[in-house]
Amino acid sequence: MTDSNCANVVETRNVWKIFGDRADEALEAVRRDSLSKDEVLERFDAVVGVRDVSISAGAGEIFCIMGLSGSGKSTLVRHINRLIEPTAGEILVNGVNVGALKPEELLAMRAESIGMVFQNMALLPHRTVRDNIAFALELRNVDIFTRNNVADKVIELVSLKGYGDRYPSELSGGMQQRVGLARALAADPDILLMDEPFSALDPLIRRGLQDEFLELSASMKKTTLFITHDLDEAIRMGSRIAIMKDGEIVQTGTPEEIVTKPADDYVADFVAGISKLRLVYAHTVMINIEEFESEGSKLPAIEECPWAHPEDDLDKLIGLAVNQENPVIIMDDSTPVGVVTKDALLRGIQGET
Amino acid sequence: MSSDDDIRKPFLEFAGPNGNYYANVFLKIQKATLSRTHLNPVALVGSFVWAALRGNWLLFTIGFVIDLVAAINVALHFKFAKAAVDNVDRAYLVERYEGWSQSHIIAAVVIFILGRLLFSWLADRLYVIQYNRWRVNNSVNSGVSMARLVIVTIVSALIVPPMIYRASQFSPDARTCIKQDRAIDRGEEVSFKARFDCFAIGEFPTLFWIERPDQISFPRDENGERIVQRTPPREGSPPVNLNTLVAQKIDDGIGYVTVFYSFLFDEITRLLRTMLTVITSVFVGTPWPVTMGVLLFVAYRMAGIRTTIFVGASLIYLALFGFWQTAMDTLSLVVAASIICVVIGLPTGIWVGKSKRAQFIVTPILDVMQTIPSFVYLLPAIAFFSIGKPPGILATVIFAAPPMVRLTALGIRQVSEDTKEAALAFGANPRQLLTKVELPLALPSIMAGINQVVMMSLSMVVIAALIGAGGMGYIVTEALENTETGRGVLAGVGIALLAMMIDRVVQKANLGRR
Repeated sequence: MTDSNCANVVETRNVWKIFGDRADEALEAVRRDSLSKDEVLERFDAVVGVRDVSISAGAGEIFCIMGLSGSGKSTLVRHINRLIEPTAGEILVNGVNVGALKPEELLAMRAESIGMVFQNMALLPHRTVRDNIAFALELRNVDIFTRNNVADKVIELVSLKGYGDRYPSELSGGMQQRVGLARALAADPDILLMDEPFSALDPLIRRGLQDEFLELSASMKKTTLFITHDLDEAIRMGSRIAIMKDGEIVQTGTPEEIVTKPADDYVADFVAGISKLRLVYAHTVMINIEEFESEGSKLPAIEECPWAHPEDDLDKLIGLAVNQENPVIIMDDSTPVGVVTKDALLRGIQGET
Repeated sequence: MSSDDDIRKPFLEFAGPNGNYYANVFLKIQKATLSRTHLNPVALVGSFVWAALRGNWLLFTIGFVIDLVAAINVALHFKFAKAAVDNVDRAYLVERYEGWSQSHIIAAVVIFILGRLLFSWLADRLYVIQYNRWRVNNSVNSGVSMARLVIVTIVSALIVPPMIYRASQFSPDARTCIKQDRAIDRGEEVSFKARFDCFAIGEFPTLFWIERPDQISFPRDENGERIVQRTPPREGSPPVNLNTLVAQKIDDGIGYVTVFYSFLFDEITRLLRTMLTVITSVFVGTPWPVTMGVLLFVAYRMAGIRTTIFVGASLIYLALFGFWQTAMDTLSLVVAASIICVVIGLPTGIWVGKSKRAQFIVTPILDVMQTIPSFVYLLPAIAFFSIGKPPGILATVIFAAPPMVRLTALGIRQVSEDTKEAALAFGANPRQLLTKVELPLALPSIMAGINQVVMMSLSMVVIAALIGAGGMGYIVTEALENTETGRGVLAGVGIALLAMMIDRVVQKANLGRR
């Protein structure tokens, strides 16, 4: 393994998944003639789930996969722990080819290094919260004392203290999903697969859980693949976002890149309604000082202008620009590097930079 | 006025000839103003011919059957009237035939009049349904078509003559026809009518006769070993039909297996008897105060105080009427049979629940096991295991095992894919998936299966008394033989209480656990 592979905790290389009895035939035909999803369905009675997807997520990163239902995002993420076998391509987890694992090694990997959270919680109704959380440990034959200890710690982590001896049916939806999260964290895996974990919750609780998860994630540094159909959520959670459509990745990038430089009309449609205030930064909307002056404007004295950092977002810039005649100066290490005029600021809010 | 025409237009288009009449009736039906006694006069006269012309095959069938039944009764009237005349020298026959002849003609008139009234009452009310379907799908029959009259003529020509002929003749019995077959073999002349009657209006004719097979017996040779001996049938013995042949073959097969593999059945019998002895020693061998106390305690722990009171009352009934030992005997049989059912049914159910192929193979077998009359199990049980308690238990197991398999499979199949996927995602291997996820989640269904098994075992154990399984069923069969109604009723109530007792406790326990 080369160094570049080790940096990526999870990596998929040209993964294809075609469902149907004639998947191999269909794959060959799709690769040769680049057929569309409908054509494959018609000619081979097969469904293209994932189409030539290569993604990679680095250590500690929250990598969001965004797409509408049927776009193949859940299918893709199930390849990581081999709940679904790819038709072609390979998946590397910590540099190890998942497809080549022996059955026993695969079970060990699922139990010890990958935790998964599901949209519908999928808790075991006949087990208490504690026993649900300790499920992965139990499967690895960890003794009861140890696993109860671990479970109790995780229960505290997700603020469910005192609920360990309750049954899932006694808990609200939000609390149930905390149990789901705790169950995924219990075995202390490196990787979290989160399949629309908050989609079934009502907005207020969803928001709270998102914040809590971000906090947890910041301290625990787990590589997370986060699936969602909600772009707002993807932007809130993700350090990078991959947008999927019909099994293909349409665009991969940071939230700012997705919002400011949508790769095609499909993505542009998505981001049209998104607020850019916290996504677009000063360095994107500023023009450098020479350019500003060449347009015939005169820069006022620096002391009379408000100033900001290049990494500050539009929200902050607006706060500075209000009640001000002068443009905002962008300072990097106390050297002015650019200017943000009110026009540029307004364009930035529109998303046109 | 024009809007009224618009409303009537589709009615007219649908009905074709006589459209105005149907438009008026359909309008009244839609406005809910149709008289309750409204009859269609054309249908009253035309009956099934009218229905056929209008293309309503449901009404056609109703009208045709009414008229046909009336016609058959007329034919029966003439048949018995003629028979009365033919048997004029035997007074008792004359009286019987004249009575029948009279009741058939009354039936014919009543059926014809009431049937026609019913038909003409139904006619427009069903015809409007056809109109509604026609609105949705224009290819539904509409209007009047002469082509349909041809169909009616053909159908009537095929059905009516044989029906009337059958009603007007005395059908020959099976033996007459067999004699006739033999007579033809000997080359004797048989009248065409007699021959036709045997083919068309009696039992389905025996199409072929098969040579009588060899008799098979299993005597011992000079070394005392069993051998197979075939004895050809006597010279000139008559041939047999298919039923006799196959029944004979089945008997031969069972005979062969029982003779040459008797050690197998002896072993199974011994095993069952051992098991039963252990269980019986618990139920019958324990003094009644102890058993009663334990049963009440178990009922209280599993199902609460109300059920315990019911159980107590039932036990007192059994004790007071002197059924205690017999009831405990029956209970031992039920427990033994139920244990075997669960031991066999649970793994089979899991297999069926998990494998499509297993389901494909096992389901029809279960269907057969459940639908064959339970008495039929007793015969092979006797053949293989002779009489007594072990064959009784086996017959019970065959009868009572299917719900265990079905409900276990149902429970396993009902476990949601999501839950199973989650367990797999956390590294469960197939065994862990079964024991930690599927079986616990299927448990309510499995418990329902056990309840069913116990109930069905109890009902079969009673029947198994016919082959010497003893217990409460024996009292009932004995009462049946000696027509002792009182004893039979008392024992029957005892069995019912026994069943309700077990059912209540198991069900309550199952509910309480959830």
